[in-house]
Amino acid sequence: MTRFSLAIDIGGTFTDAVLLASDGRSFVDKTLTTHGDLLEGFFRGVDLVCGRAGVGPKDIDDVVVHATTVVTNALIERKGPPVGLVLTKGFRDILYIREEHRYDMYDPQIEFAEPLIPAERTFTLDERIFADGTVETPVDAEEVRQIIAQCRKDGIVSVAVCLLNAYRNGENEEVVRRLFAEEAPEIYVSVSSEIAPQMREYLRASTVAINAYTVPITRPYLTALIKELDARGFTQQPLIMLSNGGVIGAERAGRFPVRMIESGPAAGALVACYFSRLFGIPDLISFDMGGTTAKACLIQGHEPLVTGTFEVDRRYRFKPGSGMPITVPSIDMIEIGAGGGSIASIDSLGLLKTGPESAGSIPGPVSYGRGGEDPCVTDADVVLGIIDPDRFLGGDMKLDADGARAALCALGERLGLSAEKAAWGVFEVVCEQMASATRTHATDRGIDYRGLPLLAFGGAGPVHACMVAELVDGEKIIYPPLASVLSAFGTLVTPAQIDLVKSLVCLLEALDWQAVDATLQAMVEEASEALREAGIREEDLSFAFSVDMRYLGQQSELRIDLPGDPRTVRDASAIRDIFEKEYEAQYGLKLDDIAIEVVNWRVTGSGLKPERKTAAASTGTRAEAVPTRKVWLRGEPHDVPIYQRRELTMEDRIAGPAIIEERETTIFILEGWTLAVHETGSLVADKKKDRE
Amino acid sequence: MDGVELQILWSNLIGIVSEQARALQRIAFSPIVREAGDLANGLFDEKARMVAQAVTGTPGHINSLAAAAKNLLGEIDIDSLKPGDVLITNDPWMSAGHFFDITVLSPIFRGERIIAYAGSTIHHTDIGGYGIGSGARDIHEEGLWIPVMKLYEAGKPNETLFKMIKRNVRTPDALLGDLGAQVSSGMIASERLNALCDRYGLDDISTLSEEIISRSETAMREAIRKLPGGTYHGMSRFDVPGGQEIELKTAVTVDAEAGEITIDFAGSSGPSASGINVVPAYTHAYATFAVRSTLNPDLPNNAGSLAPIKLALPEECIVNARYPSPVNARHVVGMYVPFPVLKALAEVAPDRVVAEGSGAVWTVQIQGRDANGRPFTSSMFNYSGGMGARATKPGLSAICYPTGVAAVPVEVLEASYPIAFTCKELERGTGGTGRQPGGDGQRIGYRMRTKSPWLLNTIPSRLKTAPEGLKGGGDGAPGRFEINGKAVLDTRKMEMQPGDEVFMVTPGGGGFGS
Repeated sequence: MTRFSLAIDIGGTFTDAVLLASDGRSFVDKTLTTHGDLLEGFFRGVDLVCGRAGVGPKDIDDVVVHATTVVTNALIERKGPPVGLVLTKGFRDILYIREEHRYDMYDPQIEFAEPLIPAERTFTLDERIFADGTVETPVDAEEVRQIIAQCRKDGIVSVAVCLLNAYRNGENEEVVRRLFAEEAPEIYVSVSSEIAPQMREYLRASTVAINAYTVPITRPYLTALIKELDARGFTQQPLIMLSNGGVIGAERAGRFPVRMIESGPAAGALVACYFSRLFGIPDLISFDMGGTTAKACLIQGHEPLVTGTFEVDRRYRFKPGSGMPITVPSIDMIEIGAGGGSIASIDSLGLLKTGPESAGSIPGPVSYGRGGEDPCVTDADVVLGIIDPDRFLGGDMKLDADGARAALCALGERLGLSAEKAAWGVFEVVCEQMASATRTHATDRGIDYRGLPLLAFGGAGPVHACMVAELVDGEKIIYPPLASVLSAFGTLVTPAQIDLVKSLVCLLEALDWQAVDATLQAMVEEASEALREAGIREEDLSFAFSVDMRYLGQQSELRIDLPGDPRTVRDASAIRDIFEKEYEAQYGLKLDDIAIEVVNWRVTGSGLKPERKTAAASTGTRAEAVPTRKVWLRGEPHDVPIYQRRELTMEDRIAGPAIIEERETTIFILEGWTLAVHETGSLVADKKKDRE
Repeated sequence: MDGVELQILWSNLIGIVSEQARALQRIAFSPIVREAGDLANGLFDEKARMVAQAVTGTPGHINSLAAAAKNLLGEIDIDSLKPGDVLITNDPWMSAGHFFDITVLSPIFRGERIIAYAGSTIHHTDIGGYGIGSGARDIHEEGLWIPVMKLYEAGKPNETLFKMIKRNVRTPDALLGDLGAQVSSGMIASERLNALCDRYGLDDISTLSEEIISRSETAMREAIRKLPGGTYHGMSRFDVPGGQEIELKTAVTVDAEAGEITIDFAGSSGPSASGINVVPAYTHAYATFAVRSTLNPDLPNNAGSLAPIKLALPEECIVNARYPSPVNARHVVGMYVPFPVLKALAEVAPDRVVAEGSGAVWTVQIQGRDANGRPFTSSMFNYSGGMGARATKPGLSAICYPTGVAAVPVEVLEASYPIAFTCKELERGTGGTGRQPGGDGQRIGYRMRTKSPWLLNTIPSRLKTAPEGLKGGGDGAPGRFEINGKAVLDTRKMEMQPGDEVFMVTPGGGGFGS
């Protein structure tokens, strides 16, 4: 009996839909994202793929998974209803003072995003907890009631609570939450000790403020989704993709929208993990390049790297520090301002630059013929002959090659180069930009990127991946099928997963195992509950434990994955060994005399990895004569063979330089690389070793 | 080298120093390095010219480091350097102006030959002697003086030096940990630079560095040439701990033909008896910063972009410290150095300058015994006042200009030391009025959760003399410093009783335009 699962990924430009049958057949489509009402596009996508497969809502008896940009949109648009913030008395400006950091030392014109919750809706409470968790001043219920009354008067629908040192002891925050629940159950309360129980008041306040701000937008959205699915006869509760790379029930996701922010990109990274398992390659680089940005994620041991903090809504020239920080577990990705629409320019030093300014999709690159005047990365690809202007999107969108050439010509003049040489320069510079960001990202995390295979997807990924691979010393590139809707597909190969973290600062040698036990037990219970809601059976639950540690006196922690369950294996010296080994591996230092401090405990609860598979290899046939096209490589014209992806056979061995076209993208391999069809339907390019 | 090739190699070099800085920040012990980013990393060519710097840190460190490589290498026989050698100094005149800042420089070998140097400067938690503050009477009271020496020789630690350092500082673990971090970040830079040379088939970086430095210098000169030539004057007045009022005067001469700027400090206050004297390298660091930040902040900082800016310092001057003047709290004057320069530049680039703000961050250090009787010495931590307004934007609140350091979070401090904060909020209305208002300062209160007396070292400034508004903008409010509700002007190393409460309000920034 064939089972069906459905995935919808709403991104900034497109809403992607994938319907997967248990026999391996897949049905995919794309539709424009409907920003007015995202669910309109959602169901348009659903109808398209269901129509293709000839199935109805009742046939979809496996999961319905959803990745969405709704939370990010809410933060950027800032049109949400009024939200309040409750802070400790004496500390009312945490969101205004931030870290007192001028993030660009030289630029006196920097700006910050306005605080999400303004001073007029910030309240303070005369309460205090110290860093050791002792309650100096308990909460005065009467004071909270006055705040509640004021909130009601101001029409506040959601409140963030972030009290000082609540990461250590959430008692006072709990009192506030209880009083709100009693007096004003209609106001949703987000407390920092639940959302992000970690040290550093600004990080925590920013995170809980984002949650409180997006709850009133996300919950109705998800409720409407659940209702509409139900009304249409779907029997499955939707699962929501989270930033950490897991899926969770929609109802719970609605309470923690801050965990959904990187929903779509996380799904992309998950796909890379899927292929890493499929190919038996534990470590690789996921490389997703679209119209405005490129995203890279390191996969280690078939799993994506996870980070504790990231930033959204960078307001000033995309600069780190100009946005709002969030501290929740998230897939550790770098987002580089380099995409097909990135604009090439020449700076005051006469250097060629690409991005971060982007022509986006409107007006788009010059070659789109929609009024764009600045030469973009895509224009360079057209001038080089890598992209065929007549077959973009399978010929549905004709590109203006003359316009692109004129723009590159003008750029080249200023560099003293021909249009073709300038175009190659753009190609090289944008690839180097992505490569160097990837190198920094990897070394920052103590990972040797050299030789790691790349998994290339996104509209512009396959065009540039080979060059990027050369620049990060890669020797293998995987081009998966379904490249254009790959993130949506990613949600279907994702297990239900929840990551929890809790600060419990203590010297390793003086660890209070009872306190650790109680903390971990509470986290395991919370995770179990969340996973049960997502439909995971008790016997399929599994838990992994990790701990953030540092040498006493350091301010930055290293995350250590524990091999066992610390509730049963209480071995501090084994933990010290792992930490020291990891620290030495990353920084080449071992500090024997210095005590080690445990800062955070982490629990990851997950269900089984779903066993959903994609279609088997394509077994195409193709004509004997392969057409060629003039492609400019390093400023010289070459006759490069052009293949159609659907016509490739398992026997084909294609030597670069070569171009392989498919509807949504173009694969470009350089000289020295050989491409073959893998049994999974992916294409794989390998670099010839010097000696071969 | 064309604009494509150079761009690719240049961005690689900047990537290397950024990587180096991030590694350093991640493994550092001192909260001021990790949380506040008080560090500098630079890459130098074989001629010891700074060719790239990490885009972190403070102008004081970065630009002092720019000169440090040459100073350090001038003290040793370069031909004797071997792979695995690491040089060290905290000589105030050689590097960043006080003993706390230790500079480490590692030669980068490619085969047998030195092709570059990786350098870093960070502010260490303690260096013995007086501690944070301006109260020492000469430089020798201020702590341990490490001349230019080899910290490692061919990969082997200089045990004698390590022993000397360990015995002469209050927090040896933190200092040695941070030194280790500096050495390790130098190794990372060496590996990465060699990998870069492998990738692009380079034997060395001399052509690349020449190209970077000459293009940067040309661009800087071009930026200066756009200004009308002439001499412009600026003056800034502020008070320092102890109540002394300092005056910095500058005559900024724009040579529009040569594309050069000369900044003359004639007429500025003379040397001070307390530790607020500024060594020339540090004065140079902040004076050049003011010009660079105003004229072309996007131009990467290196030997070339700094070259067209020259300084003239009078012999007897607070910003030209001479041995054995104390220099410990040099930043309290150094961070005001940009303002007379900006005021002079306001005549020729009014839309790009910043009005006077709180200038120096207020630094605090506490020492004592915790509730269990264990001694502690905190790292230095600092707070910003309001930034001055810009021509088209208000000043930022609780943000310092010119420095870029962040504050250490309240929760991190409370978890690290027995300190309890009573408040930390904006002091609204302290920014000056104007077409664009100045940024607000903040109010910060704290006490100690200890049963024994403790020591407080703070360096506030502008307790009397407020930051001036620019072009008709209103002045910001001066700061306040109180202990148990009573105003205190002399805040140098004070013995405090358990239960004493400190309350301070940092100054607001000046407004811009009427």
